[in-house]
Amino acid sequence: MAADGHGHSPIEQFEIKELLPINIFGVDASLTNSGAFMLVALGIIFSFLYFSTGGRNLVPTRMQSVSELIYEFVANTVRENVGTKGMHFFPFVFSIFIFVLVLNLLGMIPIPGITFTVTSHIAVTAALALLVIGIVIAYGVYKHGLGFFGIFVPSGVPAALLPLLVPIEIISFISRPISLSVRLFANMLAGHIALKIFAGFVGLLLGAGFWSILAPLPLALTVALTALELLVAVLQAYVFAVLTCIYLNDAVHGSH
Amino acid sequence: MAPADKGPNDRDGQISPDERAEFKRRSAEIGRRLEAARSEPGSDRGEPKKGGNDHGEVMGRALRLSTELIGGIVVGAAIGWYLDTYLMPNVFGTKTWPLMFIIFFLLGSAAGMLNVVRAGMKIKTGPSDPSKGKAVPDDDDDI
Repeated sequence: MAADGHGHSPIEQFEIKELLPINIFGVDASLTNSGAFMLVALGIIFSFLYFSTGGRNLVPTRMQSVSELIYEFVANTVRENVGTKGMHFFPFVFSIFIFVLVLNLLGMIPIPGITFTVTSHIAVTAALALLVIGIVIAYGVYKHGLGFFGIFVPSGVPAALLPLLVPIEIISFISRPISLSVRLFANMLAGHIALKIFAGFVGLLLGAGFWSILAPLPLALTVALTALELLVAVLQAYVFAVLTCIYLNDAVHGSH
Repeated sequence: MAPADKGPNDRDGQISPDERAEFKRRSAEIGRRLEAARSEPGSDRGEPKKGGNDHGEVMGRALRLSTELIGGIVVGAAIGWYLDTYLMPNVFGTKTWPLMFIIFFLLGSAAGMLNVVRAGMKIKTGPSDPSKGKAVPDDDDDI
């Protein structure tokens, strides 16, 4: 796309590049820039949590209180949405939250040619959403047996309406992983495309003679959008975690 | 503490109603002072959910609504389309297009609305706050 030397395509940043070809028994498991960024995120999460909580001070240092804040924030989210019974899902929700959060934030660091937003690919977000919904179904069936599927039968409804309402409930359930993955992926994708387009306007206007006096306008907009995208990055990680909790609530407590 | 500290042997650890009342008064007093300290505007301890965090929570919930609606419609339409193009002609040998598509599109729209209503109800009622209630729980209360 950028072969002509000028005008980078706004979707060039989402291109997946192979860094290290790996082939395991005919399965293409090459390390791509997407996988590399996930590994970097894991490294950041692990080293941050390990070193910030290593001191175990009663009066926390700054870094320790950051990890404690994240811990308590997620713990409160789980407790509010699933209840104390759901606290053994805390490690799962915490992992998902911090993984998505760090991936979103890593995508906001502008390094030309390298920066890659892993969560802007639906393959990644759909895998996460399917993991969540798979755990909900597996745990729900394990806990309540076939009674788990009672969540498809709304209570207090005349039997004549059930043939209409049960399909609606089933479609509503199937749409959960889809809206969960599409929301995260679409927000990241749209945000990064918008940023790239407005940043591109700056360069185009600068080369437009007299009209280059307008160039600061899209620049200011890019700065504002960057702030908005930071908010969206954190918010979408939070929304993903909250929805995970709400869906887990069905699995833990059965029909509503 | 001085009168109650005489030792457990003289009254087998029993305390008089007066002392119980005194304990209750003191625990209520501590609870009041804790509440006052927490609700102080300048303090950054306690009630971590209030303040700037609240905006994020409400915004996060509001951002859900559009995808909830679209998700329901897309899933319903996809099921209907699959039934029409693959399942019905190949398994039952009947041409149903576009009957199933229309039916499931409508069901999907209803499911999308249902999703939105459910997400919206969550906003209205808000999360239950477990920190509300007595600041200092009293293990004597079951008597």
